[in-house]
Amino acid sequence: MKVVSVTQGRLARLVASAACIALLAAGCATPPPASDRDAVAAFNEANDPYEPFNRAMLDFNLAIDKAILKPVAFVYKEGVPDPLQTNVTNFLSNLRGPVVFANDLLQGEFDRAGNTLLRFAMNSTIGILGINDFAAEAGVPEHTEDFGQTLATWDVEEGPYLVLPIFGPSNPRDGFGILADSLMDPFSWLTPFEFRIGRALGQAVDRRARSYDQLNDLEKNSLDFYAAIRSLYRQKRRDEIRNGAPGTIKSVPGGLSGVPAGAPGGQQGDAAPTGN
Amino acid sequence: MFRYSIAALGALSLLILVHTTPALAANPAGFVKEMGDKAFASLSEAGLTEEERAKRFRGLLHEAFDLPRIARFTLGRYWRTATESEKAEFVELFEKFVVQAYSARFQDLSGKKLNVIQEREVSESQALVLSEILIPGKPSVKINWRVRSKDEMHKIVDVMVEGISMSVTQRDEFAAVIRQTGGNVDGLIKALRRKTASN
Repeated sequence: MKVVSVTQGRLARLVASAACIALLAAGCATPPPASDRDAVAAFNEANDPYEPFNRAMLDFNLAIDKAILKPVAFVYKEGVPDPLQTNVTNFLSNLRGPVVFANDLLQGEFDRAGNTLLRFAMNSTIGILGINDFAAEAGVPEHTEDFGQTLATWDVEEGPYLVLPIFGPSNPRDGFGILADSLMDPFSWLTPFEFRIGRALGQAVDRRARSYDQLNDLEKNSLDFYAAIRSLYRQKRRDEIRNGAPGTIKSVPGGLSGVPAGAPGGQQGDAAPTGN
Repeated sequence: MFRYSIAALGALSLLILVHTTPALAANPAGFVKEMGDKAFASLSEAGLTEEERAKRFRGLLHEAFDLPRIARFTLGRYWRTATESEKAEFVELFEKFVVQAYSARFQDLSGKKLNVIQEREVSESQALVLSEILIPGKPSVKINWRVRSKDEMHKIVDVMVEGISMSVTQRDEFAAVIRQTGGNVDGLIKALRRKTASN
């Protein structure tokens, strides 16, 4: 308990100091002059007023990644047999069961809550502490939820883009969600400190290993890695919030409904010309 | 480090399409299926050189995708302010960029399979084709294709991998480059020139 509050205190301080740096050390992007309407529209669309700070934070995260996480993830990915890696992924996902369940309920998604409960019961027992995902094989596939998504379903705005130290791409809503999820997670109250550390490290390595090739690819093939990550993060979150359903949120650029014919991802007003 | 894996992008290695024969499938879903099958056949061939793969990929791209339209979309609001010669060069560089960035992603198709699930009408001229890529031993990857149809001719105008639109991602990135380089298309064109010249 004590350690939980200590780490959370630390996180809060980190976030607070990050915000200070952003505000004090010229971390705010200069908005373009109001006369340049295209530039103003682009600036608003990016919704990234702390961009200089965020870019610096991405560099910071990448430096840590390059020095520690990436090499470890590489060894893990290449050295550990695939089925064992799947076991690790399953085990870690299963631990998130209670949090997913709580968020399913908070979103009023009772069928999904039932699925989560069933999965957790089944995989924790006959799946041997979650290392096997027999529930998916039995036709109840995994889905994730988190408190950031729950807030979104309650119409809480995401706020400006924010790159958090270590945690990576986020925004105030999702950052708060991370905190809330860890508070509502029984495994963060009931387990010893060593277990929690191990879990966090395991999660970091597991995720990094699974996105290894994609991140390499993105770094190699993007013109602006930072902007690509920002776009991917936002789109991914929107997709998660609408639970993968094609376009029920109208604000999705390139959304799938009510699109004016002609534009590939036609969106509000500034889509490409639609002539034939 | 990144909480949300970009696994989606990897799946792109699968959206490949083949040259020859004009696209005359009866409906958008049939079109996607036909193109997908051709792509798998063409690009999974053993012993392809990188050059040959890129060449085939370029052919597929032209047959299946409405590239000029996608290029225009990715330039967003800046299309209006670009000069004619900038537009022409941008479209050309965009194609090079896409071939370079995506063709290398098509090396490992073994065991993978495209499964077209259903088609939904989005508007009079556009449909969304829902599909998935089946990968042995891994979760399947959801891919949705936005297809624009005119006079029985179909062209893909966007691909969404696990909910992430490739056109939107590209547009956002280009907009950022333009903003970083002083607010006009010229900066982006220079960046694209450098990028496509490097390989």
